Amino acid sequence: MTDKPREGGYADRVQLVYAKTLDYVAHSVIVVMAAGYFLYLTGMLPLSVPIETIAGNWHLSAANMQAKLNLPCGWGCFTSPAGILHGDIMSYISVIFLSLATLICLVSALLVFFSEKKHLYSVITILQVLVLLVAASGIMSGGR
Amino acid sequence: MKISVARRLVIPAAVTGTLLMLLLPAMPLLAAAAAQPAGLTPWWVWVLALFVFSFVLGIVAVLAGVGGGVLFVPIVSSFFPFHLDFVRGAGLLVAMAGALSAGPPLMRKGLADLKLGLPMALVGSISSIAGALVGLAMPAQNVQLLLGIVIISIAAIMIKAGRSGYPEVSQPDRLSQMLQISGLYYEEFGKHEVSWQVHRTPLGLVFFFIIGFIGGMFGLGAGFANVPVFNLLMGVPLKVAVATSGLVLSINGSAAAWVYLFKGAVLPLIAVPSIGGMMLGSKIGAKMLPKVNTRTIRLIVITILALSGFRSLLKGLGI
Repeated sequence: MTDKPREGGYADRVQLVYAKTLDYVAHSVIVVMAAGYFLYLTGMLPLSVPIETIAGNWHLSAANMQAKLNLPCGWGCFTSPAGILHGDIMSYISVIFLSLATLICLVSALLVFFSEKKHLYSVITILQVLVLLVAASGIMSGGR
Repeated sequence: MKISVARRLVIPAAVTGTLLMLLLPAMPLLAAAAAQPAGLTPWWVWVLALFVFSFVLGIVAVLAGVGGGVLFVPIVSSFFPFHLDFVRGAGLLVAMAGALSAGPPLMRKGLADLKLGLPMALVGSISSIAGALVGLAMPAQNVQLLLGIVIISIAAIMIKAGRSGYPEVSQPDRLSQMLQISGLYYEEFGKHEVSWQVHRTPLGLVFFFIIGFIGGMFGLGAGFANVPVFNLLMGVPLKVAVATSGLVLSINGSAAAWVYLFKGAVLPLIAVPSIGGMMLGSKIGAKMLPKVNTRTIRLIVITILALSGFRSLLKGLGI
């Protein structure tokens, strides 16, 4: 028992590295999302599918909307370089960035676990990164 | 003393009243508008309403001590015209964004614990992918029906489940010893250090597998279940349980979010204002938290949750 917090804090190095990475990534995500949505709504960039068309079909299931409008999904938005320069695609890419945030943090933690020779947690983190990579590859979802 | 009592009563009543004035009358109006044929209400009205709604939900969620995701999906799917697929996709991202933005300070204080969270997230993320795949393959009406049952059960769990600030763990189990799951943090409220260890880790892993599946299937943040499993089952102190739940939620949410992205169930038009509103509301809620009587608000939120679960149930039954 002590009435003062100990010097150096209570988080070990891997926690501090994860927190620092998360801080950068979370702030970047907020900026990228706001910028992407601004481009989407203001029409500063052309849209691949007009907002009115999306709104007219958002009562449909994802599969039916996909069949009708062929919206970008997964990494499909990166198939043509010219396609990226659309407001709605930019906003979609910001959502992809959000989904990648945890993966980036886990990789930073993995590097620390490696350097500190914490083998068990290196393995657990590698497995976790693999699970996220498999999810992000779209193999499980039949994606492209 | 009298001033302090008055503040404790008047401020929560005012906060709750204002939030309810915003939330409750909007619900039937939104439900009626959502029932109109597509296109009668301009799209920007829905997007703006979604932002405002998410903002209010963000405040309420923090004050009631529940995750935003668990409120978002049943309420938005009941009162907005979006298909349940897109609401679940947005709900996952909302829960994930909230956990990510709250993460750094909790990790620096040693409250969110990587050694505790990583093994649970590993099993939870695998099952959350499976849950998302199953949820998107099922007919929406069935998912809506199951969502109603899950939400009503969550409301019941929230009423019934107790919380233990510093649970006693006399003997850590062998798996937790092997994984070196234990920790020490500084309790600022009582000005003392708290050391903790855990037990029943294998059972905890089973529960996190189930929770991950449910979270992925319905697009819910699973803090409502993560926290009791950490706290009441495994003996993790409440603050560490809440903080580490966010870490687990961010990893599980990320895994399931990819399924929704690849299945075309994420519309930025819906997801981004939801995330923005919820994050902004959560920040304001966190500032209001020390000043309000959260018990009253928690009860009201549980009631709203149960009602929206009931509405989901009726929608699922085609009523």
